[in-house]
Amino acid sequence: MLNVGVIIKLEPDFSEGNVSYNSDGTLNRAETKNILGPHSAIACNAAFYCKVKYEARISIGTMGPPIAESALKQAQVLTDAEELNLYSDRLFAGADTLATAEVLKNGIGKMFGENKIDIVFSGHRASDGETGQTGPQTAWKLGYTFLGNVIGFDIDLGRNVVIAKRLISLQGMDIIIEEIESSLPVFITIDPSYRSIFNTVSQRLAANKFRKEGTKRSEEYRQFLRVFDSKKLDLDPKRVGLPGSPTIVYRVEKIPRAKTNRKTEVIDPSNPNTLSPLIAKIIQIVRGE
Amino acid sequence: MEQFDAAIIGGGSAGLSALKKLSDLNKSAILIEAGNQIGTKNVSGGILYSKQDPHRRIYNVEDVFGSDFASSAPIERLIKKYFLHATSKNKIFTLDITALHEYKTNFGYSILLNRLNPWLAQLASESADKHGGGIITGVHVSDIQWIEDKTIVKTNELEEFQVKSIIAADGVNSEVAEITKARQKFKPEEVYFGVKVIIKLPENIIEERFHLNSSEGSAHLFAGDITLNHVGGGFLYTNRETLSLGAVYHYGSLLSNPVTPSELINVLIKNPLISEYIKDEVPLRNENADLSKEDQLKVQLSVSKLIKTYNELRYKYFSKNNVELVESGKFTNIEEIRSKIDSIKQDLIGKYGVQFVNNYVELEYSAKLIPDGKRCQMRKPYYRNILFIGDAAGRGIFIGPKIEGLNVGIDDAVRASIAISRSLENNNFDSGYMGSYYESLVNESPYTRDMTKIDKDYLTLFLNVVRNISMDSIDPRLAIGLRLMKNTRFRRVAVGLANILGYNKILPIVESEQTYVRVPNLLANKLGNIVTSSYVPVIPTLSERIAKLQYNDDSEPHIIVEDRRSEFMKKLLLLCPTNCYSYEGEDVILQHEGCVECGSCSIGTKWKHPKGEKGIIYRYG
Ligand SMILES: Cc1cc2nc3c(=O)[nH]c(=O)nc-3n(C[C@H](O)[C@H](O)[C@H](O)COP(=O)(O)OP(=O)(O)OC[C@H]3O[C@@H](n4cnc5c(N)ncnc54)[C@H](O)[C@@H]3O)c2cc1C
Ligand code: SF4
Repeated sequence: MLNVGVIIKLEPDFSEGNVSYNSDGTLNRAETKNILGPHSAIACNAAFYCKVKYEARISIGTMGPPIAESALKQAQVLTDAEELNLYSDRLFAGADTLATAEVLKNGIGKMFGENKIDIVFSGHRASDGETGQTGPQTAWKLGYTFLGNVIGFDIDLGRNVVIAKRLISLQGMDIIIEEIESSLPVFITIDPSYRSIFNTVSQRLAANKFRKEGTKRSEEYRQFLRVFDSKKLDLDPKRVGLPGSPTIVYRVEKIPRAKTNRKTEVIDPSNPNTLSPLIAKIIQIVRGE
Repeated sequence: MEQFDAAIIGGGSAGLSALKKLSDLNKSAILIEAGNQIGTKNVSGGILYSKQDPHRRIYNVEDVFGSDFASSAPIERLIKKYFLHATSKNKIFTLDITALHEYKTNFGYSILLNRLNPWLAQLASESADKHGGGIITGVHVSDIQWIEDKTIVKTNELEEFQVKSIIAADGVNSEVAEITKARQKFKPEEVYFGVKVIIKLPENIIEERFHLNSSEGSAHLFAGDITLNHVGGGFLYTNRETLSLGAVYHYGSLLSNPVTPSELINVLIKNPLISEYIKDEVPLRNENADLSKEDQLKVQLSVSKLIKTYNELRYKYFSKNNVELVESGKFTNIEEIRSKIDSIKQDLIGKYGVQFVNNYVELEYSAKLIPDGKRCQMRKPYYRNILFIGDAAGRGIFIGPKIEGLNVGIDDAVRASIAISRSLENNNFDSGYMGSYYESLVNESPYTRDMTKIDKDYLTLFLNVVRNISMDSIDPRLAIGLRLMKNTRFRRVAVGLANILGYNKILPIVESEQTYVRVPNLLANKLGNIVTSSYVPVIPTLSERIAKLQYNDDSEPHIIVEDRRSEFMKKLLLLCPTNCYSYEGEDVILQHEGCVECGSCSIGTKWKHPKGEKGIIYRYG
């Protein structure tokens, strides 16, 4: 039996109509709806692929306040997870990525009655903070092989290995797709371009069945939910929350606006006179002039 | 290679019924549907009938999906009244033909396929799950091959798989028929062309306007000058909070006198009776050109938001469920909703210069070919181990006010399922065993009889209806005919004669311009009442109609024009409902992006459905 863990995050919904900003331009967290982060959702899809293709069991974990339950619920819809874990404790407040990784490491250790987790998936990054290093740090703490930017993978259950494709884009170089084989267990962060492909009838039928089951399970998600505080996770208070966070945020640099060398011109579509020069320009470009 | 007992290709009402029935017979079947979701590719008028026959079995929707169908399915309205309106300009002569509607009918519900089919799918897939089958959407079957004793199904999306038997339920433009050459492509004379728009109207207004009790509905057919001289007519069916307004014409008749399908709808809308039926109070924006572009945009956004809230509240207020707003605690009582609506309206008028005018609200434009079973039903609805059902088999009963395709497809589905189930039990899928057994079952269906013979009781009923027409001041020739109809004995003779002549001889007389255009026109002109409309509807242009449609664009065209200069292709410049054809020099070229997959051009092209998930996505159907 393949045991799969997924680490997810509740994030503000940045879509139009849901997000709200303070007058100084910062995010108004109280007014903004929270959802399962989009990168977390992609990690869930990868776990679901394991369920459909390799009959994996799925356990989902998140560190956060009690409302983070809602992200677990949404993740269960996507994965039909057998287990939902919320790591919640006041002591966790103010955690940086290292302290978070400490909680997640122990959390993952408690999944499926302390059965070993073969693959842990996490999102590539979060949309509300520069916390992309949480995944790698958790992997390091767990002692798992870490594979980042994974765009596709398959598992050879007989040999106990994963064969993964990684997208490597280094500045100034062509994009490289690296195929890599690693024995389990592994920690995988999933690239945003990942798509699950179910290309046999049986896989499609299984996917449908699990989707339906996932929706049904999520209606009573509390039955699947376990809440852990620092004690239950056997955590040392010095290594979590603010005390466990060596990071000092000195200053967050606003990304400078790149200087554009393109000019924008607003064209009134109701006025044919302004349209004809535009068309002339398009023709010029198409002709390569 | 994966192997399955039975594959059903196509998840319209016929295919879904087959899946449900086969599963209920404890067989494992998979259904493959090209649309991303069930119901997004299907179009109907439509009234779903449940029928009875004193002598022979009919398999109705409730036999397949449960006796509580009427109480649990997302049906629109129980059709209680049926009218035929003859039109001549602003004159209308109305005949009550409810008796024809009730003939051998258990019930007839107005339906929208994008609501009904997903419900059928849910029940079918629950049954299929139990036997290891199910529904797979977003997959397009592209080929079927027989290699040695294996039947292999190929798709654009999945690895090929093997099956023992197939039900082809892939609709009027069946690719399975094309792949297997089980039948020829339908000819223009063998099909109808249907085009439709969905019109939004609040629930309570529909009931008041059409004099309906709650959850009951009426159906209206139109013939006469609104046909623009084509064989066929218009229809208007009341749904719960929409109206289905459309037209069905013989494709041959459209080819000999091409008119854009959009125009066929527009003449209906302009008819004063219909204008009044669809009328609603609609907000009309006022663009303030004095403002800067930026301010205009701001105003536009605010107005959009207000209009959205106004509409949502108003449709809810005028519906049976208006109490929900009170129960949810949003409002303390119904009057408060009313005053909120009024206050938003006043804001729109006062602050933004929005006017409230009489007009109508169109939601969706759709089109599809319909097989005329009388002319094109497959005599042998099978090929090797494939059984054809519903539109794919060219089956449907369309004669005068009789418009029945949905119920026929459901009946076929049960018969095909029985045949396949028997074959699975005896492990014999030879066409001589399975196919011919299915053929015999289909031949036992009363619907097959209706497609081959004139139903004399129905004809008698029809003649009974027209006999009541007053003869004063009518065209002498028509008056003689009608006078003769008053005579019971003559009516009997007429029915007998029709039976002796049979469909082949009678059809050209019955389905002619004379009956669909001239006679109704004359009746309306001489006997009709003048109807006036209180406003002139502002009809969307075709581009506006297309802009409202939802598509998942396919980069590759699914249609290939074979002869770019044929007379047929030239006519498609007018006949394609979404204007996909145009001239490039003397060649007719296709821009497939706006295609609604109606099939009208299939006769002169290499025609396929788009790949899985691609193409049109209907929201009402
Ligand atoms: C305007 C209009 C009015 C009508 N009015 C009425 C009425 O009032 N009453 C009535 O009973 N009938 C009416 N009909 C007829 C009725 O709608 C049809 O007979 C019925 O919908 C046909 O159902 P079907 O399941 O056979 O085919 P369809 O509903 O066409 O379903 C075929 C399905 O197969 C899928 N498909 C096709 N090819 C493939 C492939 N290669 N791979 C995978 N999937 C594929 C399609 O996506 C589609 O979902 C009307 C039709 C029209 C157009
Ligand atoms: S291109 Fe052909 S199938 Fe598509 S909408 Fe036009 S006529 Fe119909």
